[in-house]
Amino acid sequence: MDKRAWFNKETFLRTAEGAGLKPGDPHLEELYAYVQNVLPGLQVIEELDLKDVEPMSSPGVQESSR
Amino acid sequence: MNPSEICHLSASQLSGLVRQREVSPVEIVKAHLTRIDSLEPGLNSFITLLPEQALAQAQASEREIGAGRIRGPLHGIPFGLKDLFYVNGVRSTGGTRIFENFVPATDSAVASRLRNGGAILLGMLNLHPLAYGPTGENRDYGDMHNPWDPRRITGGSSGGSGSAVASGECTFALGTDTGGSVRIPGAMCGVVGFKPTYGRVSRYGIVPLAWSLDHVGPLCRTVEDCALVMNVIAGPDPKDPTTARLPVSDYRETLNRGLRNLRVGVPKEYFEAPVDPAVKGAVERAIGKLGELGAAVSEVSWPLLRYGQAIASTLQMAEATTFYKKLIQTQGNRLDPVVRVRLEAGLFISATDYIQAQRARALFYHQGLGLLGEVDLLAGPTVPVTAFEPGQSEIEVEQGRMKVIPWLMQYTRPFNLTGFPAITVPCGFSREGLPVGLQLAGRPFEEATVLLAAHAYEQSTEWHQKRPPV
Repeated sequence: MDKRAWFNKETFLRTAEGAGLKPGDPHLEELYAYVQNVLPGLQVIEELDLKDVEPMSSPGVQESSR
Repeated sequence: MNPSEICHLSASQLSGLVRQREVSPVEIVKAHLTRIDSLEPGLNSFITLLPEQALAQAQASEREIGAGRIRGPLHGIPFGLKDLFYVNGVRSTGGTRIFENFVPATDSAVASRLRNGGAILLGMLNLHPLAYGPTGENRDYGDMHNPWDPRRITGGSSGGSGSAVASGECTFALGTDTGGSVRIPGAMCGVVGFKPTYGRVSRYGIVPLAWSLDHVGPLCRTVEDCALVMNVIAGPDPKDPTTARLPVSDYRETLNRGLRNLRVGVPKEYFEAPVDPAVKGAVERAIGKLGELGAAVSEVSWPLLRYGQAIASTLQMAEATTFYKKLIQTQGNRLDPVVRVRLEAGLFISATDYIQAQRARALFYHQGLGLLGEVDLLAGPTVPVTAFEPGQSEIEVEQGRMKVIPWLMQYTRPFNLTGFPAITVPCGFSREGLPVGLQLAGRPFEEATVLLAAHAYEQSTEWHQKRPPV
């Protein structure tokens, strides 16, 4: 999913409020700009073929359980 | 012995002098306190200094050593801890005024092991607030300053650790490394910074940033000193369930085995990424030196490397925000503004984003591990640029304008994702006299191979003998 399209201002403000940030705080403008700038770059992960790949919660588990 | 000379000796050298009764722990600690007095607050390496406690411990060490009870090579050697390690009774701020009065009532595992080994804590070292940033800038306690040029950044987040070791304010330091926070200041301050395998060193009693990416590691002026510190801090800890129940070798004993028969791979993607020409040149010459020393150097490919930043960012943002969620909600306005937005942005990472990143991590890990089936070590730059002036969010290079934060971590983060051991060792200087670091990484739990290769390189050059002008 394209995060840039999904993250319109209304969705952002709803999510921010749901996460406990103060609605109406002028700081949210700065946060909105940051989120718009950073999150789309993370979507590159969607290019990867992750079929049959299980999540790796931390890299130490496999080695330490040998 | 001249006190200022004491401050530039390695732990290994000091240890020899202590054993031969040529210098005492009290002399060593006094020399370092004098050095700190002359350099602070200019470098701003420390948040909390512990002179009385350090002198009392030095006097006790002197009595013990005088009675023939030497605890090991770190007995009587002064060190510093990044100010997010718990030490019973010593304030731990995490680099933010929000925690300026927090005093833990327990020791971190590594602080306890170092104390038992006789090392003497001089104080708590400055850091990027909450360890969430790679530059070493701190609004609350002041920016850290690079001993090679105090107008420039130290790198971070363990910036105080880097500057204190480089300038001779302490013999070694511990930092934490979630995306490069030991290796970046190590490279930018011209010292050795070592991130062991995930699970090799206990993280008990350390304020986390991102549980699945956090590592503890030493910053020292020589690779041998890193081996000495690792000999004390490595090994399983029942209080940290992520520590591996695997044997720990004597890292110092294997340092001189040399590079012959070792295969060193240079991922071609390293130099396809934007990198400062001064760094590229110094690292290429260093890799050439590895070949001269007997390593078989070849080009390899790690195609998934370009996904490392997105995978690591997703995991780090979600984990850091989870840990600090209450703080964000209740005291967000007291946080450093840049750190605050980074933390809050993690609120917008969904559970499925996080799990997808964990799946991508598995793919990334196995491709990296496969690569280390073809070669024994991976070599390349630690940081793509030398230290620059603070306050910059972008830097212009040949390939375009780079966003400072992700760019600084482009070579270090892959080894937080995989947990593979990785070291930075000084490999040259720019025309402006700023240090450059060579990064070597190895297979999980093969710290000994990484250390011996770094040691062989270091001993064949003179970079580690150069001193900053402060």
